[in-house]
Amino acid sequence: MTQSSSYPPAVEAKAISTEPLDIAGLLAGAHHPGAGAVVLFSGEVRNSNKGLAVNFLEYEAYIPLATRLISEIVEEARRKWQLHIAIAQHRVGEVAVGDTAVVVITASAHRSEAYAANRYIIDRIKHEAPIWKCEHYADGSQEWGNNCNCK
Amino acid sequence: MKIHVYAKLKDYFQPEFELLETIGNTDELRAVLVKMNGGADELLSSCRFAVEEGFIDKDFKLKAHDTVVIIPPSSGG
Repeated sequence: MTQSSSYPPAVEAKAISTEPLDIAGLLAGAHHPGAGAVVLFSGEVRNSNKGLAVNFLEYEAYIPLATRLISEIVEEARRKWQLHIAIAQHRVGEVAVGDTAVVVITASAHRSEAYAANRYIIDRIKHEAPIWKCEHYADGSQEWGNNCNCK
Repeated sequence: MKIHVYAKLKDYFQPEFELLETIGNTDELRAVLVKMNGGADELLSSCRFAVEEGFIDKDFKLKAHDTVVIIPPSSGG
């Protein structure tokens, strides 16, 4: 018996979202018959930073330029690794501990391309997109991130 | 010239304000801003500038009616 599969249309995700990110919905739209690998990265809010308890993060973006840059980065990765699906979406506004601040999904024929492209996209977004986070600590203090702290 | 600032720069300036001085380029703009608030000097030295949703460099000739967005180092993700 042949099993049939249905592939929902690829998601056209907005690069910047003021609403909670719908990871399940984005992933559901990230399957492709030519893709043997789908990689999803979810950047989530930690409950501590620099030894201080974090209540939530607040993200701010220069939305027109962030949208354009993210779209260009995703398109560049799509061409470079011949991805079937490439999605990146970043949240703005208040994001609670454990919630997703940024999601990147890549789908390609084989896993090495999907992993490499996913890493490339998130690293460039963190370094280049005009998006900033403000840590709101449990002690009532707050602090803007000064710089991308990629390791 | 209208100025928009983001993130940590809002600790030093209003999010949006107007400058009436004649400012020809980003170096001159940075000097005016440092004169307004010297505490922002180090942060301003690492900021990028944008006009009409595109980054500009120090050779870009600013005009009086431009809206300049000042962009601190990214810290998204």
